[in-house]
Amino acid sequence: MIIGIDIGGTHTDAVCVDGRNITATAKTVTGDDLVHTIRDAIEALAIDFSKISRTVLSTTLSTNSIIEKKYAPAGMIVSAGPGIDPRRYFFTDDFHLVEGAIDHRGREYIPIRADEVARVAGTLKKKGVDGVGIVSKFSVRNPSHEIAIHSIINSEFEHVSLGHTLSGGLNFPRRIHTTFFNTAVMPVQKRFVHSVRKALAELGIRSPLLFLKADGGTFSDSAADRHPVETILSGPAASMMGGLALCHDPQTTTLMLDIGGTTTDIGILIGGVPILEPKGVDIGGLKTLVRGLKVMSVGAGGDSCVRVSGSEILVGPDRDGPPACMGGPSPTPMDALAVLGQFTKGDRQKAVQAVTPIAGRLGQDLSDVCRRIISILVGNIKKSACAFIDEVNRHPVYTIYEMLHPEIVEPGQLMAIGGPAAQLKPYLEESFGMRCTVPEHAMVANALGAALARTTRQITLTADTQLRRMICPELGIDEQIPASMTLSDLRRRGERELRDNADRLGISAQGEISVLEEQVFNIVRGFSTTGRNMRLKLQTKPGVIEEWSAL
Amino acid sequence: MITARRKTGLIFFPAYDWEISPSHPERQERLLYTQDQVMEEGVLDIEGITEFKAGLATEKDICRPHFCVPDVESRITPSHSVSAGGCIEAARLVLDGTVDNAFALVRPPGHHAMRVVHGARGFCNINIEAVMIEWVRKHYPHIRKIAVVDTDCHHGDGTQDVYWHDPNVLYISLHQDGRTLYPGSGFPEEFGGPNALGKNLNIPLPPRTSDEGILHVMEHFVMPVLKDFEPDLIINSAGQDNHYSDPITNMSFTAGGYARLNEILAPDICVLEGGYSIEAALPYVNTGIILALAGVDYSYIREPDLDPERIREDPRVIDYIRNLTDDLLDLWSRREHFERPQEEFFRRSRNIFYDTDGISESQHEVVRVCTECPGAYRIDSSASTGYHVLAIHIPWGACSRCREQGLAWFEKPDRKNYYAVYLQDMDNDEYSVKIL
Repeated sequence: MIIGIDIGGTHTDAVCVDGRNITATAKTVTGDDLVHTIRDAIEALAIDFSKISRTVLSTTLSTNSIIEKKYAPAGMIVSAGPGIDPRRYFFTDDFHLVEGAIDHRGREYIPIRADEVARVAGTLKKKGVDGVGIVSKFSVRNPSHEIAIHSIINSEFEHVSLGHTLSGGLNFPRRIHTTFFNTAVMPVQKRFVHSVRKALAELGIRSPLLFLKADGGTFSDSAADRHPVETILSGPAASMMGGLALCHDPQTTTLMLDIGGTTTDIGILIGGVPILEPKGVDIGGLKTLVRGLKVMSVGAGGDSCVRVSGSEILVGPDRDGPPACMGGPSPTPMDALAVLGQFTKGDRQKAVQAVTPIAGRLGQDLSDVCRRIISILVGNIKKSACAFIDEVNRHPVYTIYEMLHPEIVEPGQLMAIGGPAAQLKPYLEESFGMRCTVPEHAMVANALGAALARTTRQITLTADTQLRRMICPELGIDEQIPASMTLSDLRRRGERELRDNADRLGISAQGEISVLEEQVFNIVRGFSTTGRNMRLKLQTKPGVIEEWSAL
Repeated sequence: MITARRKTGLIFFPAYDWEISPSHPERQERLLYTQDQVMEEGVLDIEGITEFKAGLATEKDICRPHFCVPDVESRITPSHSVSAGGCIEAARLVLDGTVDNAFALVRPPGHHAMRVVHGARGFCNINIEAVMIEWVRKHYPHIRKIAVVDTDCHHGDGTQDVYWHDPNVLYISLHQDGRTLYPGSGFPEEFGGPNALGKNLNIPLPPRTSDEGILHVMEHFVMPVLKDFEPDLIINSAGQDNHYSDPITNMSFTAGGYARLNEILAPDICVLEGGYSIEAALPYVNTGIILALAGVDYSYIREPDLDPERIREDPRVIDYIRNLTDDLLDLWSRREHFERPQEEFFRRSRNIFYDTDGISESQHEVVRVCTECPGAYRIDSSASTGYHVLAIHIPWGACSRCREQGLAWFEKPDRKNYYAVYLQDMDNDEYSVKIL
């Protein structure tokens, strides 16, 4: 049995899954103490705790601490060399620039100065900073400067993160942001993981604890300790994964809509896998290297505020409060549904009172206006969805082959989850002109998504047979290779490393490995080939665990 | 977070699956390190700098500036369609107002491709700037005057040729002196055809010219000329082989110099041309150009091995350039007073060598000297491939006399042994071929 828990802003959902069956669900109010909330939710499931094989959490802890800037002060030691002035990316006084430079092929051209690093460390220490992030430009091509800085300051700080271990992607400013956030939320996350473990133990749950990540995969609690930044934005990931788990035909390209009160999150599933942001997700207004799902959030939901402007009806993008039929201040699409008798939970009379003035101003029939309001809401969602699909298809490509053989993403079905999904289904089908599925258990889709997501991890391997060097930043591999190494050698090596390091990466060693990208270039100097430059990205494939999907 | 002062569009198309031959400078690896540098610097995350997908140029797009012999399909590969299509996208972004300026960082290059194309010259099959310019003239008729400033180290003899007779396209080329480098042309005497005198300006620079010399030419020649010409669109053919580390040239320009050049010129569109120092120059030069276009501080962009003292030019080089610039400016100021030929038809004959494909071509050209329009012309071209063709061009805004003349040339070829007769009728956007 697996427990999945999704801690949202207002409610916390829990679900217990046994094989292909959902054996229990629970909904509780999210309190100030998240550990208590988790405990309450698990207890509310009323199941035999001894049979639990793992617990998966999707929390807003790191997201909120970054957005609300509620994190410990963290220092940054950054080496860059020439290029865009790195100080443009510094946002507290505790960011320090030190000497040192590495070029795009990983060759050092300005060394690190130990005395300078020690002096900076001393300054941070004196200020009482406990956490330090270390970043150098092109560290994913040569991590030695980050490692050298670490060894100089090692014993002095409790929380340390090194840029190259967090992502193998190129992007120095994003590496700075990612490393800073990781370091800053580390103490909060460590305390949280520790308390959750303790609470679970008190309930008699001793099986593994996992966390949902932004990419819709999970990793172990110990990996979450080291890489807390990866747990950001797990909410939208949980809903996409939940939708995927409940999708009857996951092989058809699916447009996922998570329709809430205020916003609708739009995502796409292709072949049972959600699509990812190519460079990394944004958080707190900053861009990171954190692998995450590509999701568009649009201000259109069941509680969107309805207004009249001239002869136009405007729906959203803001929310004033709950629908009028639920005691809210202004008319909403839910009220329109209530008037039409398609939403029965609220007070229909209040809905009629709220929508009637609009019909009056427009001189239209009340039910016509209600249908118009809903079609505007659905139209807004569709417009954004089309823009989203268009953006995915306009992604630049770098080979002739891809230019001539574009892979066009074209969803063939809709999947809607969230509060108003069931009521909006017929309107969505009409507007999009395709089948829309609103799954059973849609109310606990997020918790289910957490419970059923596979463990995921991506690694990056770069091999340069001219420089005789192979790097895998995420695993800290930097070693000499023979000039004869080929791309298939590199692929085999990567697969082995991914399995051998499963524990350290916090993933299952049985996960299916897939190649995300591979490229090989002949290095030509003068007029002869002097080596090969090979780039490989491997991942354990995201998706829903086999116990669920195979049945 | 850095915000750009100008919205800049980037079309990046490295053609990672295309090469002329495995060890040729024009190979897959060429833009690899540029991409690494641009990615690592986070250039595309700067607010205001956006990457866009390249497009595909159509056969018609290619027929506007070129007579491809025997046809377009056999003279190009798909890579050329994408590279020219990337330039078209860059122009579209600028002219639709999506961005303030754009950089087509594409390959393969194009500035050695002439109006008649029998094969590849100087790694170029079709002239990607010319395909773009003709596309712009077709789709944005309000763009009448266009300036191309070619800062590739090699003389852009292809662009010069395509626009030789066109008074509305000003071509200015700064390059290493043709006496010391391929293609061996590009001297101040090459001043434009009889209907476009002064609209072709060449500034041959001595080997080892560095930042001071090139920027002097920009500030004291190119900019005053552009001010007089008042172009509706400025294009930089941004070759990067003036760089001190380039393996096939002998100049001493730097990445910072290239960025400053673009800051001074403020082009609407930049198009990558040559540049084969793929590790030591291109990553830094391209980063510098993008930042300069976007109006972002580029002063910290510098090559790892840069030693300005080592590459500084000899004072005599600067003196030479000062004198050259003064002479050229004087020439430019007298452009209206050059005497046109008195006869109705002006003829020239020449031989053209296609170094990349090893083809020789012999051309006999006749242009109608016209005061009403840019003038119709015909080119009798025979190549070592065995093709002997007649190509007729009726220019944009052709007067009725030139139009009639062009059509007459096309209807009644002067000999029977042409393989084919081609016609470019720009105003009607019609490109015809008659196989004889």
